[in-house]
Amino acid sequence: MIVTNIETVPGKAIVKHLGLVSGNTVRSKHAGRDLMAGLKNIFGGELKGYTELLTESRDEAVARMIDQARAVGANAVVNVRFSTSSVAAGAAELFAYGTAVVTE
Amino acid sequence: MADYENPEIPEGINVSPTHPLKDFALLVAGISALLIVAVLAVSLLAGQLARHIPFEQEQALAASLGRWLPEPPDSPVDRQRQQYLQSLADRLAGTMELPPEMPITMHYSSSKTLNAMATLGGHVVVFQGLIDTLPSENALAMVLAHEIAHVRHRDPVVAMGRGFAVMLALSSLSGVGDGALQQWLGGVGMLPILSFSRSQEEAADATALQAVLDLYGHVGDAAAFFEEVAERQSAAHSPTMFNTHPDVNQRIARIREFSARHARPQPPSATSLPGFMKAT
Amino acid sequence: MYDLIFFLVLLLLGYVFGQHAEKKHFRSIIEREKQLRGILTFSERRIPDEANLQGTLVSGSVVISVDFFKNFVAGLRNLVGGRVSAYESLLERARREAVLRMKEKAQDFGAASVWNVRLETASIGKGRQQGGVGSVEVVAYGTAVKPR
Repeated sequence: MIVTNIETVPGKAIVKHLGLVSGNTVRSKHAGRDLMAGLKNIFGGELKGYTELLTESRDEAVARMIDQARAVGANAVVNVRFSTSSVAAGAAELFAYGTAVVTE
Repeated sequence: MADYENPEIPEGINVSPTHPLKDFALLVAGISALLIVAVLAVSLLAGQLARHIPFEQEQALAASLGRWLPEPPDSPVDRQRQQYLQSLADRLAGTMELPPEMPITMHYSSSKTLNAMATLGGHVVVFQGLIDTLPSENALAMVLAHEIAHVRHRDPVVAMGRGFAVMLALSSLSGVGDGALQQWLGGVGMLPILSFSRSQEEAADATALQAVLDLYGHVGDAAAFFEEVAERQSAAHSPTMFNTHPDVNQRIARIREFSARHARPQPPSATSLPGFMKAT
Repeated sequence: MYDLIFFLVLLLLGYVFGQHAEKKHFRSIIEREKQLRGILTFSERRIPDEANLQGTLVSGSVVISVDFFKNFVAGLRNLVGGRVSAYESLLERARREAVLRMKEKAQDFGAASVWNVRLETASIGKGRQQGGVGSVEVVAYGTAVKPR
């Protein structure tokens, strides 16, 4: 599965466009991580736990989007975008969406 | 020219298949268990540490918070009542072999509250409402001995230590969740504390019975207070789990068992309360 | 004691009504998705045969609130970490509803396809903790085209 965030798949011609596919997820870290993040707010620096959380969420959202693309018979997703929302404090909610395509 | 179409996307890719109730049950059970274990550990540790606070420190602490203790009585009859309570407490303290640096200070309150309590620094408060329900001095001695036993076991300071530690531990979770969740966490967190004080109450009962037996040679009327409470409670019954004190019926049964073991051939007569003790 | 009863009642109400609303919403989403199958959506900007088309911006948005039950379960989940499955279905509903509303606009315009579709989230209630209401807000927008 090829995933790009441009209109095309470089080096391959698109033969079929299968429309919008998307993945979404909501994930959180345990309370200890939230506590540490709060402490880190005093000293500054990278919040490793939350970086990890975002990475995990993004990977999962992309994986779900790929699952949808695979289910409709595509072999690539182009023009992928990410978007976040905020329902719960301390949780990451991510959308990943793009157009499923079939390349030759 | 490429084809453009929108095939149907199957359901269920973007939602986890777990049933919400199963998720809920697992989370509630898991977190409650974790929280209870953590609070037990914290309160046990804090209790053990608090036990080592010297009694002098406890007295100093009580003096700094002591404003809520009843004022010294001003009417002569109230003074007489307090002196009587103090002398009874001193006699009990003598048989209980209280360390000399652990004096018991009795406070009398003319309030109609049906209660007596031991608090920090060896202060014991007895309310007139309680005295009015008691048939004899033996029954009053049992209640006093119970409160003195709390002081001797360092229960007030242990309870304070535990309460403080648990409050601190629970408040560290205050960044988590909203009101409802907080309330729930607090409620679950307090459960082990309640059951802890129940074991303290039972220990105090046992010590008190021994003291009454040593002082009077029998434990007649010892269960009088609890029988009174049982009678009042029979209308509104609350489950034992949520109560600080053990079920009164259990306590009465325990006292009866104790008195059966120390039975005398001829039932001894109870010492009656001095007339001035009853508010009529 | 009354607090506990009140809390359990809220939890039960949240569960019963929340689940009912969710099931109903999903049924309606699936139903309307079938009706609007004719309108295609793509996230690409390059529209084939562009010269012979006319287009307009279409958008759809929706705000869906969490229920008491979901909120509580999510709060618990937040303690241990992991996938907050209670909110996943919420996000899914919001996203599909927003796209559907966008497609309805496209249908009104007479278009057969929507291009360069973007999903955005607004934030009205920033999570329960800040004293706002917990809700998911999704905006979907794109360019609907029809033959000139």
